Amino acid sequence: MRVGFVGLGVMGLPMAGHLLAAGHELAVWARRPEAAASLVAAGACLCATPAELAERCEVVISVITASTDVEQLALGPGGLIEGFAPGGIHVDMSTIAPDTARQLAARYAEKGIGWLDAPVSGGELGAREATLAIMAGGAAEALERVRPLFACLGKTVVHIGPAGAGQVAKACNQMIMVNAIQACAEAMRLAGAHGVDPAKVREALMGGSAASKVLDVMGGRMARRDFAAGIQSRLHHKDFAILMEEARQLGAPLPVAAQTWQQLNALMALGGGRDDTASLLTVLEPFEGKIQ
Amino acid sequence: MKVGFIGLGIMGRPMALNLLKGGHEVTVWARRAESMAPLLEAGAQGGANAAAVAAACDVVFSMVADAADVEQVALGAGGVAEGARPGLIYVDMSTIAPAAVQSIAARMAERGVTMLDAPVSGGEVGAINAGLTIMVGGDEAAFEIVKPLFACMGKAATLIGASGAGQVAKACNQILTGVGVMAVAEAFNFARKSGVDAGKVREALLGGFAYSRILENHGQRMLDRNFKPGFKAWMHQKDMNIVMQEAHRLGLMLPSSAATAQLFNAMVGSGMGEDDSIAALKLLENLSGE
Repeated sequence: MRVGFVGLGVMGLPMAGHLLAAGHELAVWARRPEAAASLVAAGACLCATPAELAERCEVVISVITASTDVEQLALGPGGLIEGFAPGGIHVDMSTIAPDTARQLAARYAEKGIGWLDAPVSGGELGAREATLAIMAGGAAEALERVRPLFACLGKTVVHIGPAGAGQVAKACNQMIMVNAIQACAEAMRLAGAHGVDPAKVREALMGGSAASKVLDVMGGRMARRDFAAGIQSRLHHKDFAILMEEARQLGAPLPVAAQTWQQLNALMALGGGRDDTASLLTVLEPFEGKIQ
Repeated sequence: MKVGFIGLGIMGRPMALNLLKGGHEVTVWARRAESMAPLLEAGAQGGANAAAVAAACDVVFSMVADAADVEQVALGAGGVAEGARPGLIYVDMSTIAPAAVQSIAARMAERGVTMLDAPVSGGEVGAINAGLTIMVGGDEAAFEIVKPLFACMGKAATLIGASGAGQVAKACNQILTGVGVMAVAEAFNFARKSGVDAGKVREALLGGFAYSRILENHGQRMLDRNFKPGFKAWMHQKDMNIVMQEAHRLGLMLPSSAATAQLFNAMVGSGMGEDDSIAALKLLENLSGE
C-alpha cells in the first residue's frame, strides 16, 4: 500500500520502519527533514509538504504530540486535507482530545476523506517490537482497509466505536496507568520510609494479588532509581489536563485522578518533566527544599 | 460620570441599578433585549451594541459568563474597542482566568483602552445590597477614577496589583469558599451519621476557632435544607476549573482544591448543577447512606 508517515520521534521512527520492512511504499514528511534520513536511506520518499504526502498516498499515519499539532497537520496551510483524493484515510495515532478527533473526522468527511483515531499503548518498547495495543475510533470500513498496516505495528487492534472513541479508550488507559504508577510510588515510598528494601517488596508483591505490569516495569525503575525516560512525565501531565477537562464537561467525578494530577503538577514544578513518570516517587520523598 | 454597563444577568442587573441610584448617567446593553427592560424603566439609556455603549461613556463595565464572552464584548464585532474614545476605561467584573485578562488587556491597550479586572465576591445578595467585595487588577490611576463607581456597587474595592491580579484574588476566594463549603458539608454529614444534631454542633463551633462566615451563613442554609441559589454549583465548578487550569500551568499542587473540584463535578453530573453549591451536603449524604 502507498503509506505516508508523519512524526518520526521515538515512537514514530520504528513504526514507520516496520511499514517499510513489510514492503509498503513509504513516503514521509518531517518538519526537520534530517529526522527522516535513516528512512530515506532505506528507500522511503521524502515529501516537501503534508499536502504532497497526502497526494501520493492512500493512507497517512501521524504520531505527533498535541491536539493543535494534529489540527495544523490536517487543516493548516499545505495540510493533508489539501492533498488527499476522496477515499484517502488519515490515521492519527497521537494522543489527543476526543473532541478534536471528532471535529477532524467531520471536516474530512465533508470531502469524502476517511479518518481513524488510533492511539496506542505499549510505549517505545512496543513500537520497536511491533507489539502495540491499538484502540481505534472511526468507520469500520476505514479500519478494515488499514488493518494490514496495523498488523505491522501492533499485536492487538480493537475497534472501540465511532470517531473519538479510540481517544476515549486512550484517556481511560492513561488514567488507569498513571494512577497505578502513583499507587506504586506510594507503596515504594512506604517501604522506603520503614527502612525496608523497596526492591524486595516489589519482588514479593509480583507473586501476589497486587501484581501488575506497572508494578513490574515502573516499580522496577523506582527500585533501581532509574528515571531516564521511558515515557517523559510531561506527556502524561499533558494527557491528564485533557482527560480532567473532559471529565469536568461531562460532570464525571474522578477524585483519585485529580490527586494524581496534583502530584504530576508538583513533579513538573520540581523539574522532573523530562524524567520517566516513575519519578513520581521523588515527589513523595523528603527533600531539601529551596523554600524554608 | 457617564457609565456603561454590559451584561444584565442575576449580578449585572442589580449592579447597574445601583449605579443609577448613585446618580450616574448609565447606558446599558445586553444580548437579550428583555434583560434591558428593567434598566430602561429605571431611567437608563439603551445602546445598540457594546460599541455604542462605549462611544457614549467614560467608563464601561461588563459582567458576563466566561472568557469567550469577555473577548467578544471587548474585541469582537460591535465590541467596546470599536466604539471607544481614547482614554476609555473598561472594567470587566466577570470571573475569568488571570491569563485571559492579561491577553485581552494588552490588546485593549493597543486600541487606547485601559482595562481593569474587577471580579466580585458576595453573590446576588451582595449585588442587590451594594455589599460586594471587589478585587481589582490594573492601572492605579484608572482605579482611582473608577473608585466612586465601585462605591455604588460594593462596600470594599481593593487594588490588588497589576492586570490579572484581581482574578488571582478571586481564584483565591473561590478556593477558600469552595473548600470551605465542602468542609462544612463534611462536618455536618459527620455529625449526622454519628447521630449528633448538626445544628447544635454549628452553634457551639461558632464561638470557637472554626468560626467562619461560611459556617455561619452557608451552614444555616444547609440546616434549613434551603438549596436554592445563591451561587449555583455549576458556576463554582467553572471557577474551580479556572483554579485547576492555572495550577496545571504554574506547576502548583492543590490537593484540597482538586478534591473539591471533583465534588462539584459529581454534583453537576448528578443533576445538582442548578442548586446552590451548599447542596454538596446532599451529595455527601447520598454517598454516605441514610
